[in-house]
Order: sequence, then C-alpha cells, then structure tokens
Amino acid sequence: MALFEAQHLHKRFADQVVLEDITLAFEENQISGIMGPNGAGKTTCFNVLTGRYKPDRGQVRFDGRDITGLPPRKIARHGIARSFQMMNLFDEYTALENIVLALPEVRAKGFSMTHDLAGDDGAQERGAAVLARIGLAGREHTPASDLSYGQRRALEIGIALAAEPRMLFLDEPTSGLGSDATATLAALIQEIRKSVTIVIIEHDMKFLFDLADRIAVIHWGQVIAQGTPDTLRDNEWVRASNLGALA
Amino acid sequence: MDPQGIKNWFTAPMLVSFLVFGTMPFWIEAIGLYQYLGLEVMIWVIFALAVNLLLGYTGLPSFGHGAFLGIGAYAFGLTQFNVAANLWISLLGAVAVTAVLGGLVAAFISHRRGIYFALMTIACAQIFFFIASKWTDVTGGEDGLLNIARLPIDLGLAEISIKSNFNLYYLCFAAYVIIVAGMWRLVHSPFGKVISAIKQNDSRVAFLGYNVWLYKWLIFTLSCAVSGLAGALFAMAQEGAYINIMSLQWSGIVILIVLIGGGFISFWGPVLGVIFYFLARDILGAYTEAWLLWFGLTFMVMVMFKPEGLAGIWQDGQAMFGRRKAAVEPCPEPNHAGGD
Amino acid sequence: MVDFFLGLLPHLLNGVALGLLFALLSLGFMLIIGVMEVINLAHGSLFALGAYFAVMLMGQDGGLPFAFMQAYYDLPAIPRYIIALIVAPALVAVVGMGLEICLRRTYGKDPLYGLLLTFGAALVLEEIIREIWGPAEYFLPLPKAIRGGFFFGDMIYSNYRIFAAVFAMAMIGLLWAFLNRTPYGAVIKAGAHDSEMVRVLGYNLSRLRLFVFAFGAALAAIAGIVMAPIWGVRPHVGVDAVIPAFVVIVLGGVGSFWGAVSAGLLVGMVVALTAAFLTEWSLLSMYLLLLVVVTFRSRGFAGKASALKA
Repeated sequence: MALFEAQHLHKRFADQVVLEDITLAFEENQISGIMGPNGAGKTTCFNVLTGRYKPDRGQVRFDGRDITGLPPRKIARHGIARSFQMMNLFDEYTALENIVLALPEVRAKGFSMTHDLAGDDGAQERGAAVLARIGLAGREHTPASDLSYGQRRALEIGIALAAEPRMLFLDEPTSGLGSDATATLAALIQEIRKSVTIVIIEHDMKFLFDLADRIAVIHWGQVIAQGTPDTLRDNEWVRASNLGALA
Repeated sequence: MDPQGIKNWFTAPMLVSFLVFGTMPFWIEAIGLYQYLGLEVMIWVIFALAVNLLLGYTGLPSFGHGAFLGIGAYAFGLTQFNVAANLWISLLGAVAVTAVLGGLVAAFISHRRGIYFALMTIACAQIFFFIASKWTDVTGGEDGLLNIARLPIDLGLAEISIKSNFNLYYLCFAAYVIIVAGMWRLVHSPFGKVISAIKQNDSRVAFLGYNVWLYKWLIFTLSCAVSGLAGALFAMAQEGAYINIMSLQWSGIVILIVLIGGGFISFWGPVLGVIFYFLARDILGAYTEAWLLWFGLTFMVMVMFKPEGLAGIWQDGQAMFGRRKAAVEPCPEPNHAGGD
Repeated sequence: MVDFFLGLLPHLLNGVALGLLFALLSLGFMLIIGVMEVINLAHGSLFALGAYFAVMLMGQDGGLPFAFMQAYYDLPAIPRYIIALIVAPALVAVVGMGLEICLRRTYGKDPLYGLLLTFGAALVLEEIIREIWGPAEYFLPLPKAIRGGFFFGDMIYSNYRIFAAVFAMAMIGLLWAFLNRTPYGAVIKAGAHDSEMVRVLGYNLSRLRLFVFAFGAALAAIAGIVMAPIWGVRPHVGVDAVIPAFVVIVLGGVGSFWGAVSAGLLVGMVVALTAAFLTEWSLLSMYLLLLVVVTFRSRGFAGKASALKA
C-alpha cells in the first residue's frame, strides 16, 4: 500500500469544477511529481491534499489513516509538511527563529509562557543543524527578509523539513529561481529524499523529470497520465507541449 | 536562582524602569507634578502593556479594550461589596471576571483577524457599555459604582493601609514589576514566539501544526485579565467605577498610546506612550482644552510617517550617534523589519 | 391579529427609511473599499460631520454667530434646507479628500495601517466636533412641509420618515444611474474591479482615488443629514453609523449594488422593530447583529477579499 493515497477527489468552486475524480498514490521513499499546464488544477489538488481545502467528495489517506478534510494543523501533526509557492516566511524573524518554531519539540512546548526559547540550547542546535543542511550555515541571525531570493526558497523548504515530516509536499519550488539556484535546489532535494517521502508540483519539466520516480500529469482537473519519467516521454500531452524533449 | 536565571527574568532597561518608577513618589512633586499622576501612569502602563500583547505582538487590533478595564473596575467594586472586603479576594474577583468575559468574547472572535476582528471588538465593547449603562441595579448606571474602598494590604500578620496615594502607588508599582517581568518572559517563550509568528503569517503557523485559534484565544483572554487588574487598581485610585472608561473613546486612546510609544517594535513602546500621553495631557492641557485633538493628530502623523513610534525615533537617534543597538538595547522585540 | 400588523406598519415604514439611509451610507463605504481597498473607519464620523454642517447651515442654535450670515439665516426654511443638502456634503467631501491624501502613505502596506489611520481620523473628527459644537445634542430644524405626521387608520405616521425614504430612494436611483449610465461611473467600476485597469485605460489613478473618496464621503454626509432628525446629532453618532455600514457590506457583499440595498433594508427593519418593542436597546441591536452576521457569514466579501482579510 502506498504511504499516501487520494481516491476520487472532487472539488468545485461555485459552478466551476476544478478537480474531477482525481486518484493518486505516492509511494514511501520516492519522489513523486505532479505537473500540468497553468490552471489545470494542480495547485488546488495540492491544497486539497495538504488540508487547505476540503474536497467535496473523495478520500485522502496517509499511512492507512483517513485524513480527509482535517484542518492543516492536524495534517501537519500527522507528519505531513509543505512549502509554499508564494513564499511564506516569518519575515521579522531570523533564519534560525523561522526554523526553530517549526521544530516538533518547540511545538510541544508551544503553550509554555516562561521557557526561554533563545536560551534553549538543544532547540537552537537542532535548528542550526537544519540550516546547515539547507546550505544556510552562517545565516542563523540574518532576518528572513534580508536573505536572497534563493536563500529564502531554501529556508521555505527548511521550515518544512524542520518539522521532521514523513512526507514533504513542495509547491513549485523552482519558481523564480535561476539555473544555478535550480541546480543547488535539485542537489538539496536529492539529499533530503534519503529521509523523507517527497511530492513536488512543478512546471519546470526538466527539473521534475530528473528528480522524480513517478509523475502524474493533471489537465482539466483530471489525471490524464501517470508513470515513470521514461514512460511519460512518449505521452501525447508531454510531447505536444514540446517540453518532453528537454527531459 | 543562579545569576543566569536572574538575567533571564530581568534586563537592564527593566531595571532602569524599576529604578525610575520605584523612586517616582520621592521626586515627582519636586518636578512640579503630583502623586496621583504617578498612580495614573502606573495603571495605564499595565493596561497599555496588556493591549500591546494583542496589537504589537499578535497583530490583533482590539479597538474595544477599554471595556475590559471597566469590567475589572466594576468587578473589583462588586466583589468588595458583595463577597469579601479583602484586597486579595477583590483583586482576584476582578481578574477572574474579566478573564471569563474576555474568554467569552475571544471565543467569538478568535477565528478572525484584521477588520473583522477590529469591528467585532468594537461591537462587543459597545454591548458591554450598553449593559453597564442600563443595568443600574448592579453598576449604578450613569452615576457609576461609588465609594469603592482602597482596601488595606493584608499580609496575614500585618496590614498596610493604602489610603494615601503614596502607598497605593507602591501597590501599583508592585503589580507593574510582576507584570513587566512576566510579560518579558512571555514574549521570549515559545508561546510568545508563536503569537508573534501568527502576526506575521497565521496560515503558515497552522501548517506547522499549531492551533492558531487556541493561541489567539489564550492571548486575548490573558490580555483581558491583565486589563482587569489595571481596572481594579483604577477603581481604587478613583474610589469608584465609572461608565466613561468603557467608552470607545478610551479604547481608542489606549491604541493611540501604544502606537505612538512604538508598541510595534519595542516591548517598552507602551511605557513610553503612557508617559508621553500623561505629560501631554498635563502640559498641553494647561494651554488648550483641545489637547486630545492634537494627540489624535500626532497619532495620525505617526501612522503615516513613523509607525515605529517614539521607540523607533529613539532607535534612529541611537543609530545616528553611531552606537551599537545592542549596547543599550531598547529591546527591539519583536524585531520588526520596517513598516511594511 | 390584524390590529397587530396595522400597529406594526409605522415601524415598518421606519425600517424602510432607516434601511435606505443605511444603504446610501454603505454604498459610499463600499465605493471606498472597492477603489482604495481601505476600510474607512472614519466613515461614520463623516456621516456625523455632514449632520453638524447641516445644523450650522440651518441656523437657530447651531448657526454661526457672524453678522453676515444673518441675511442667509433669514431665508425661508426650504431654500436653507436645500442649500444644506448640497453644501454640507460638499464640505464633507473636502474633508474626505484630506483624509484620502493622508491615507496615501498607507497604500501597499499592511492593511492594519489603513485601519489605524482611519480609526485615528475617526477620533480626531469626533474631537473636532466636540471642540466646535460641544458635547450636547443638536436637533436639525426642518422645513414645515416635511415635519409633523398624519393619521392612517388608528396609527400616526411621520411625514419625515416618508420624506427620508423617498429622498434616499431617489439618491440611490441617481447613484445607480451615475455608476451605470455615465462614463465616470464606468471608470469607477473599472477601478473597483482592478486598479491597474484604470491606468491601462489612461486615467490618473490618484485623481480617481481622491474623487471616489470625496464622493463616498459626500454620500455619508447626505445619509447623515437625512438621518439627523431620526437619530439626533451627537458627537459619537459616528460610531453608531459605521457599524450598520459594515454589517450591510458583510451581508450584501462587496461590489454588489443591489446586495447593499437589500442588506440595508434588512438591517433597517431589524433596528426599527427593536426600537418599536425595546426602545432602550435599539442601537444595541446593531452591534448584536454585527456579531451574529460576522460569526455566521463572512463570505459576502468574495469579490474583494484582500482589503477585508487584513
């Protein structure tokens, strides 16, 4: 059984059907990709999978448990973390503070009103270790708003990673990145895949074809194809969009 | 407590404030002011700090907080009259009643923010105001609840009278010391960091697995409880509880105070704001009846040009003299990265 | 039973008059939200200011003590009233322009700043009113033609309520025609839809914002003048006015003209019926209504989410 399964998801906004009978499965320790043209429903699909929207019909299961329609905080507590396409950092906090807040041990102490967080060496060290892992060592005390664009993207992933999830959803992680930064990011994802199952939505097909073990193509709110990158190269839509050649 | 532990509870600016406020009754008359002013400053500092927990730290504009100051004052008087004429019990009554009513309001509004939050706090405050003004049997209506006593401090073996403004001041000062030390601790605790993160980006906080609603509910209730304490002290200072402090005008003034002081960027903003407000009232008020108008205009100018308030001007001044921020540290917490 | 409903009729008429005035007030509020994405918490104060300017222009106790005004105050009541209905909103529009210029510093920042600024402006305007006119309540003198009442069945009907309802209806009709039948209206609607579009169409966005704010302020002032004989003229009437405006917008939805009108009527009915049976608590009903409405409904704002999410 796959670690994460979505079955027959339907979602409409007002009179517009956005998702129609989406069924997806993500295997443990793999990188899965979701791609498709803009407006195809990938972002909505992502938001349904990670709890931002509740599906009208269908079921989402994680590790055998039904998590359909749970609020984001409960889904997060099941061990599912996500990053955002529109960057979603705590701009007034330093890079380290951003990370520390995401640590499960800090979340467990969240209602403590007297514990001195800055003096909590354990949490600070673990936060610094996450920063080192995403290539931001030495930036601990830089406010998030002062980081470069690429560093902010990395921090966005770092926050998700700090939660020590079993499953990590990345929403368009390359958006706005140049080719060097994209390569750095690909290396980072290769590194973190050792410890976490990853799902990526992406419009950069080359990036996705290089990284993913399996890819699902969503168009018109439906899964029109899925398979390994190799089998998808021959897919009609992938070829029609003339991007398969890149992969 | 080991030295490190003490350092975590008290900081240099805090000790400076203890020194200044702790000696104030001895020099306030020498500079041409009067003891009662010191009382007002102390009480409003506690109230403004409570409001800033919401506005500055959690980003929640509570535009009706005066209602909770008033509820604390009424509850203090009513406990004293109907339950026990004991200072501790009456203070506890004031804080408990305000916390319960604050918690009730918070349950209605904690899933909101921004404009909805602001207008719902106004609506709740108006409802409390109407009830207080119409429920004459309990609150005394427009006349207010009169003859609230300054109950003696009961220490078991001895009693200390607080009938004089001088003695009551030191009770308020003791409350200030506890509140300031506790709040400083709170804003640096995991809880404090979470509420400040909610201000910056509440949906991300939810995706990290935190229960945003519960955090907002708790901080609102806590802020109300502290406001209730300020209200109880105010009832003793005025020897009565009056409807006017529940009006929106007073709720508005405390917002003005917090912002002008610099609550957005500094823990000490509300303290600076209260001092500025009372000095302006007494100095400007001597020249013009319309001083509150000028105060309001100052607020508008601050929002437009310097939303970081007096604390922001202080920091700019320090930067200009080339001193490192950390040297004196006017406590740039929460570290606000500019106005936008 | 029939008597009960006949007895209700005058209150329903009151509800219609109140409701249409709320709608007029809210439409100005909504235009400002649409084009500037600012919740103008001072909108109620502009409403109050309109009433005070009208009191000043009608003379009697609220008049200006200048000799040169005496000739004007000697005019019959009807021309004075018409002048008040034109000049007072114009003066308020100027105040609105001043406020919009202040607000420019907050555009593009956290909406909290716009909220704080208009909140401060509301307090300042109320303080100005207290300075000029004092804390006492004023009554707006009216021409004889719209005073008094008449009997219908056993119940007495107020002439003024009928005038207020008809006048507000006419203003709403004119506003609709202005927005939908003139090129200026088209630009405003474009601006409310997407402010970039205004630039693309080649109009000056700053000037449009200035004009829309002034226009919204004038609508508030007109509502304030017509409401004055019903609510009385007090310094803090502004707060009581901004709440129904907000309730109407939540119920009717931003960007929906007829949504605002029907929500206004609904709110007016609720307030009028509470006033009929629980006179003391009629203003309170609005605040309770706000709590209920916002607790159970907040998707009315679908059109312009950004200004209201704040």
